[in-house]
Amino acid sequence: MTRKEIIKDFFRTSSPAVKTSLVIMGAGHLRYGSISKGILYLLVEVSMIWYLIRRGFKDIEGFFTLGTQKADAWAGIAGDNSIIMLLMGIFAWIVAGAFIYIYVQNVKGAREAQRRFEEAIPQKTLKENFRELLDREFYCLALALPVIGVCIFNVLPIVFMILIAFTNYGGNTVPPELVDWVGLENFKKLIVLKKFGPTFIKILGWNLLWAVMSTVLNYFAGLGLALLLNKDCVRGKNFWRAFPILAYAVPGFITLLAFRFMFSYGGPINQFIVAHGGFAIGFLDIDAKWSARIIGLLVNCWISVPSIMLLATGNLSNRDMSIYEAADIDGANRRQQFNKLTMPYMLFTTMPVLLSQFIGNFNNFGIFYFLRGGLYKDGYFLASDTDLLINWLYNLSIDNNYYSIGAAISLVIFIITSAISLAVYVKSPSYREEDTFQ
Amino acid sequence: MLVTVTACSDSGSDSESSKKTSQSSGTGSALFTGKLEKNVKIQVLENDTAISKGYFKELIDAFNKKYKDQGIEAVDANMDQYLDLANDGPYGYGPDVLYQANDVIMKYVDGKHILPLPVEDMDCYKEIPESAWKAYQTKIDGKTYTCAVPVNVQAPMLYYRKDLLPDDWKEKWDENGNDIPDMAESWSRMYDFSKERHAEDSKKYGYMKSLNDMYFSSGFLFSYGGYIFGKDNTDPSDIGFAAGDAVKGANVLSQLASVMNEDCIDDTITTNAYSKLGNGSYFATISTPDVYSTFLEELEKNYEENGDSKQDAEKKAKENLVMTTLPKLPESGDLTDGSENTLVSKSMGGINGYAISSYTKAPNACLEFVKFATSYEMVKKRADILGIAPAREDAAKDAGGTSEQLYKNLDSGDIILMPSITEVGQIWTPGKTFFSDLAKDVFRTKDKKKYKNEAAMKKGLEDMCSQISDAITTLK
Amino acid sequence: MKKYHDPVDTAVTYIILIVVAFVFFFPCLWIILASFSKSGSIYSFDGFFPKSYSLDTFKKLFTDTRMYNYPRWFLNTLIIAAGSCVLGTFLTILTAYTMSRFRFKARKPLMKATMILGMFPSFMGMTAVYLLMTQFGLINKPWGLILIYAAGAPMGYLTQKGYFDTIPKAIDEAAKIDGATNFQIFTKINLPLSRPIIVYTALTSFTWPWSDFILPKLLLKEKNLYTVAVGLMSLDETEFARFAAGSVFIAVPIIILYFALVKNLVESISAGAVKG
Repeated sequence: MTRKEIIKDFFRTSSPAVKTSLVIMGAGHLRYGSISKGILYLLVEVSMIWYLIRRGFKDIEGFFTLGTQKADAWAGIAGDNSIIMLLMGIFAWIVAGAFIYIYVQNVKGAREAQRRFEEAIPQKTLKENFRELLDREFYCLALALPVIGVCIFNVLPIVFMILIAFTNYGGNTVPPELVDWVGLENFKKLIVLKKFGPTFIKILGWNLLWAVMSTVLNYFAGLGLALLLNKDCVRGKNFWRAFPILAYAVPGFITLLAFRFMFSYGGPINQFIVAHGGFAIGFLDIDAKWSARIIGLLVNCWISVPSIMLLATGNLSNRDMSIYEAADIDGANRRQQFNKLTMPYMLFTTMPVLLSQFIGNFNNFGIFYFLRGGLYKDGYFLASDTDLLINWLYNLSIDNNYYSIGAAISLVIFIITSAISLAVYVKSPSYREEDTFQ
Repeated sequence: MLVTVTACSDSGSDSESSKKTSQSSGTGSALFTGKLEKNVKIQVLENDTAISKGYFKELIDAFNKKYKDQGIEAVDANMDQYLDLANDGPYGYGPDVLYQANDVIMKYVDGKHILPLPVEDMDCYKEIPESAWKAYQTKIDGKTYTCAVPVNVQAPMLYYRKDLLPDDWKEKWDENGNDIPDMAESWSRMYDFSKERHAEDSKKYGYMKSLNDMYFSSGFLFSYGGYIFGKDNTDPSDIGFAAGDAVKGANVLSQLASVMNEDCIDDTITTNAYSKLGNGSYFATISTPDVYSTFLEELEKNYEENGDSKQDAEKKAKENLVMTTLPKLPESGDLTDGSENTLVSKSMGGINGYAISSYTKAPNACLEFVKFATSYEMVKKRADILGIAPAREDAAKDAGGTSEQLYKNLDSGDIILMPSITEVGQIWTPGKTFFSDLAKDVFRTKDKKKYKNEAAMKKGLEDMCSQISDAITTLK
Repeated sequence: MKKYHDPVDTAVTYIILIVVAFVFFFPCLWIILASFSKSGSIYSFDGFFPKSYSLDTFKKLFTDTRMYNYPRWFLNTLIIAAGSCVLGTFLTILTAYTMSRFRFKARKPLMKATMILGMFPSFMGMTAVYLLMTQFGLINKPWGLILIYAAGAPMGYLTQKGYFDTIPKAIDEAAKIDGATNFQIFTKINLPLSRPIIVYTALTSFTWPWSDFILPKLLLKEKNLYTVAVGLMSLDETEFARFAAGSVFIAVPIIILYFALVKNLVESISAGAVKG
């Protein structure tokens, strides 16, 4: 049926009570005896109306105007805060979206209740619904909390940021100044600006190289270490494992500051070199393009390997050992077992780590911010040759206050990178062949 | 009500002054009615040094004792000293009174996050020089507003240790016989001495300071005609770090770097200067007056380690640690040519003071606190405990020569105040990049040197200016 | 099963292990020894290590709390970390399990969506998070942080899902035949089977608040509400020894937690379950 037919059919066959639920939610349920569900729906509608009157309408209006009255603390004018209005506007849309979903459920439920009533099937009670949630629809229950949380604290900020790209927020236009929608103005600027392109290409190139290199390095080092520690010949596994754990227990930023100091001119490594008659080396200084990059790579490896090792260790212990016994009986030697059983299993189960490592490393803000922050190199626009895209964004939007431009750039970057990684992800075995070991 | 207020204010002429407050809201905010709020807590944000050295506790204790009857209590805001009022204040999470540098305070003026104060009515008004007040003035619609009360001046000062001078310094290093060693008076002589000291013992150095610190390094450019922004630091479209003979300043810096070691390329020296001056590796460095007490402490620690009693160490440290204004520069821009013509060193500076947040619930109580904290007694105490250079002339006189000299420098324009426009935030990274490159160049092998002559340095300065201008204008 | 170890292989293994242990241990040792340095300044070392040692910095760290209230920060972090560990682990495991075991219409779109969301530069959204928290009145509230950490945790469900993908479905089906609901299968069968991954998740979500300082810096304005990370970053530059001591002590709860949980991490359970 097309949508039109569905609607036609709805009005033809629905009872008045079901039609009433279009206006008064829960009416259909109440009419057909699902009292508690009817009351719940009614409550939802009442609180939605209350919310709309209290602030919903105002928030949605504010979303479009972004404020009309400038605040002036000296004159005692409270005024509008454009950014808050934008945020609460988005929030209102999310609430509206959730409401529409419940509204549709209400109408569907009313229809279902009518069908059951006409066919003389007893109505589902709330208890039954609840039981269903625990069983067949367990996923709905399980995902409700995480989805709500992610929507508010992850999706909402991202939407906010994307919308900022279409405003003139930033520079001197920050509250109490009023912010306005400017359409595609920021994106136009990016295309017109000659300085932007070359820097973007250079940083993107390094960023991709970095993400691939550090992911591969971390992943195989972590996996290798776990396998090494898992060897039968290693005694005192917990003892050996404790060293990486020690490294893991020290927070990343402290490690980074410590390494930065170690490699600095006054640091112990240079002191050592100078004491033995050498010349101090600027491992991370202004000329140090590749040495800084490589140090970054290694330090990142030092930080990331322990957690990958931990995870791989967990996965190793989850192997189905009966397969190995079977292999033993079939006369496979240990090397064959490793190549044919352990490796494929480990690669499969830790594949998601590759992905999350890639994402994490692509957006690894801390490493070069702490190791080699605060430099602008020639040929780069407000960035240095070790900066990743995320560091550049930080320079632009936080250090130099260009929020809206920064938002526009991150949107561009985001579209490119997510397209790439989505393409890779959809092709990856952990997405396509989830059931291999189940 | 008004009677109780006036009776309890801090100095004799107060009954008059508070009457004025209520009448002349000309430049102060209309919120300052003179009527003190009752039972309020005002959150005061001080800087960390003042808190850790115990001055702040004395200040609020004294204030609270005096205003207990009025139900006013000042408390430590207990927040980060570098907080952003524009971000926290509007939502109710900022302090009521804040102690900050002028560039930070004036940054808040555009958004009117701080209140204009009725400063003419304050008893410190006449004691504080015009040049200091100017740092906090802003013109809106033809009216001049003053947004904070100056407490002390921050400018680079030379720190050195008297006991590290050669024994025969009076003969060899005091040509004009004024009992002040020449290296504290002339950068050329400082250069000579640094070279000599390092040659005698390769672990010892003379003058040491990381070049990459824009705040300190830019002064050398200013001395030879460089400036930050045009039109008295208000026009960000004109960036003047390469203007005039600024390149000579760059040359001097590069020469100074050549008597240091590679540590001057990154911030190693800046962070280790306290302990290295303390243990005698360094003879001199530059820093701001507010860290005087930290230098002193490190020195005391060192004397104690070498066997002095606590009292002796304290006494010795006070005697030997000298904080003074910057030495003079050669007009030629060459520390080695022995020329006699000198220039006064200019430097970047700031004025720290108290401002009142626009989001406070008790503006009058806050004003009362600011009056109290800027009174002669408190400022003098501050100078005694922290070694700062007070803005009040009466306190400055008591504090001794350095502060007075600083004021002269401020008046004569030798201290260039940090610009109050927001664009100043964009000069730091390009500046840091250039100065560390300049320092690095000293230690590059000959074939790799970038700044072989003045023309190359000039080009470097110009590149830095264009980077700053890019940062400011390109994305606007 | 025969156990024969090639001596060359064993030797090589141990050599690698020793190198690895050294690589990981040396920087840690350096920080640890620096924190016991007597001079309190990192620059007075000759070479890598301090000349003389004392316990003074640790004493100072815990007793001199006027400016830097480390014990308080430590307690704050512990509360926040424990809270977000419990909540975050629960949500992550739930999400991962659901995504691994159930087939429903929104599943693949959800998987793609989380993948994309993860690519977003997170600090760009920080302004929004801050403003949101001001609107909810959750500034200066530790549990506001717990809420954010826990809510964000399920985004990293992929690793855990990978683990659940390896637990044989045969177990579930057997239970189903016995009449268990999906909820019971989850709580009674799969949860106990996935101890290693739960421990891993708990460890990572406990560790995260210890090292994060962007979020607490943004949301906790009062110094006595600071977490250890924010507090340490706020230390004056001359306070190196305190910084080192504070950094070393941060690691203590994480190490304790690790040793308490390590048995669960490496215990093989599922093999037995299938056989039994």
